[in-house]
Amino acid sequence: MGEVELSCLAYVKMYLHGCLFPRCSVNGLLLSSSPAGGAVCVTDCVPLLHSHLPLAPITQLGLTQVDVWCAQTQQRIVGYYQANACVSDNSPTPCALKIADKIAEQCNNAVLLMIDGGKMSPDYRVPPIVMYERKDTRWTLKDKHTIMLRQWEETREIANQLLDSGDHSLLVDFDSHLDDITRDWTNQKLNAKIAELASPANVCTWMSRVEK
Amino acid sequence: MANVISFKNEMRDKLRKWREDNHRNSEQIVDVGEELINEHASKLGDDIWIIYEQVMIAALDCSRDDLAWTCLQELKRQFPGSQRVKRLAGMRLEALEKYEDASKQYDSILQDDPTNTAARKRKISILKAQGKSAEAIRELNEYLEQFVGDQEAWHELSELYINEHDYGKAAFCLEELMMTNPHNHLYCEQYAEVKYTQGGLENLELSRKYFAQALKLNNRNMRALFGLYMSASHIAASPKVNATVKKANVKYATWATNQINRAYQVSYARCLL
Repeated sequence: MGEVELSCLAYVKMYLHGCLFPRCSVNGLLLSSSPAGGAVCVTDCVPLLHSHLPLAPITQLGLTQVDVWCAQTQQRIVGYYQANACVSDNSPTPCALKIADKIAEQCNNAVLLMIDGGKMSPDYRVPPIVMYERKDTRWTLKDKHTIMLRQWEETREIANQLLDSGDHSLLVDFDSHLDDITRDWTNQKLNAKIAELASPANVCTWMSRVEK
Repeated sequence: MANVISFKNEMRDKLRKWREDNHRNSEQIVDVGEELINEHASKLGDDIWIIYEQVMIAALDCSRDDLAWTCLQELKRQFPGSQRVKRLAGMRLEALEKYEDASKQYDSILQDDPTNTAARKRKISILKAQGKSAEAIRELNEYLEQFVGDQEAWHELSELYINEHDYGKAAFCLEELMMTNPHNHLYCEQYAEVKYTQGGLENLELSRKYFAQALKLNNRNMRALFGLYMSASHIAASPKVNATVKKANVKYATWATNQINRAYQVSYARCLL
């Protein structure tokens, strides 16, 4: 089908979500602030759960709240991501397919993204993700060449930097928000940190450091 | 000098608290524990051995095999032939993904002591790590026939069933836990979530009751509050209920909404301070 572009912000937060809960399966929603039609631009993500993924109430609650927030901020839910606790198995679970189906009801070219835990490492050459798209009624593997992640190396460095500095613990998923509702699941603080790191000046500084 | 001593005592107390609360904050334990072991080992008396064990397990959790190995050697030297240390050696093999060797280690423990629950549970953990859920479930069921009071095992089994979408059996496990822990709001709330997921009017009503029970035990449980709102709303909207039931559930849902709004208002106020 169409092309999918994954932004630095979306990738970094997804990746950090997996890193923050290495012993759990985690999931979340992929959002786009671009209008419908044409390529799917995933511009942001909302980390949802790190426990009891198959149970309905909190998932439904999360979907509803994110939906409302999207309407207020001119974004749309365009996909779903999941990282399995068992790193040797990155295939979509039944609950992943169910949620992705639901999203596809509202969004034609919705994507299902599985994070490949076995391939997550600081210097991996390609993004450790596997993407699926809906063809007829089944989710099929997407052609890798239609998936774009601009400036992959810079993105990867941002993620590494946040891990090294311990800032990944700033990430709040919906589960954590329910444990303490003063915590912000839209992650404004972390978003700002990522934007700062992604600014051209910063990128030049540590690209040269990386190359040494 | 006084500062060093108090720092050492503070770290030791922290480790004890984490041990007693069974916290899995492995990175912190490694940070604190490594320094304690390297700088203050001689001044810890007999505490050092349990600290070695605690730090070793945390080190395995953080892929710090170097640190885990050091701790294991100290423990082996002090307690040669100990089953408890053997189990730690097995856990290290698990961390290195040498599952067959780990399994052999646990089998040898069980040969000497067939009632060693720790070794049996590690064997089940290996199955889980290998993605063999069906086998893990089977073994855990067999284990629970013998050790019916093992809460940790019942909870683990409920999690395995949830992941397999076998909600009926997950509910059964949680019922066991609620029976033996009637004041635990988390078990009530999890049970309610399972019932909600099963769906159907009867299950929704049960789920609403258990969300309410969880709230009675802990009125700050947000999941229970939202759960009460959602289950009551669904019941009220169902064509199968009569007007009385509908009215009652609308009342419950409204009450829950008000509580939720109040909770968020308080939290915003707290953020502004």
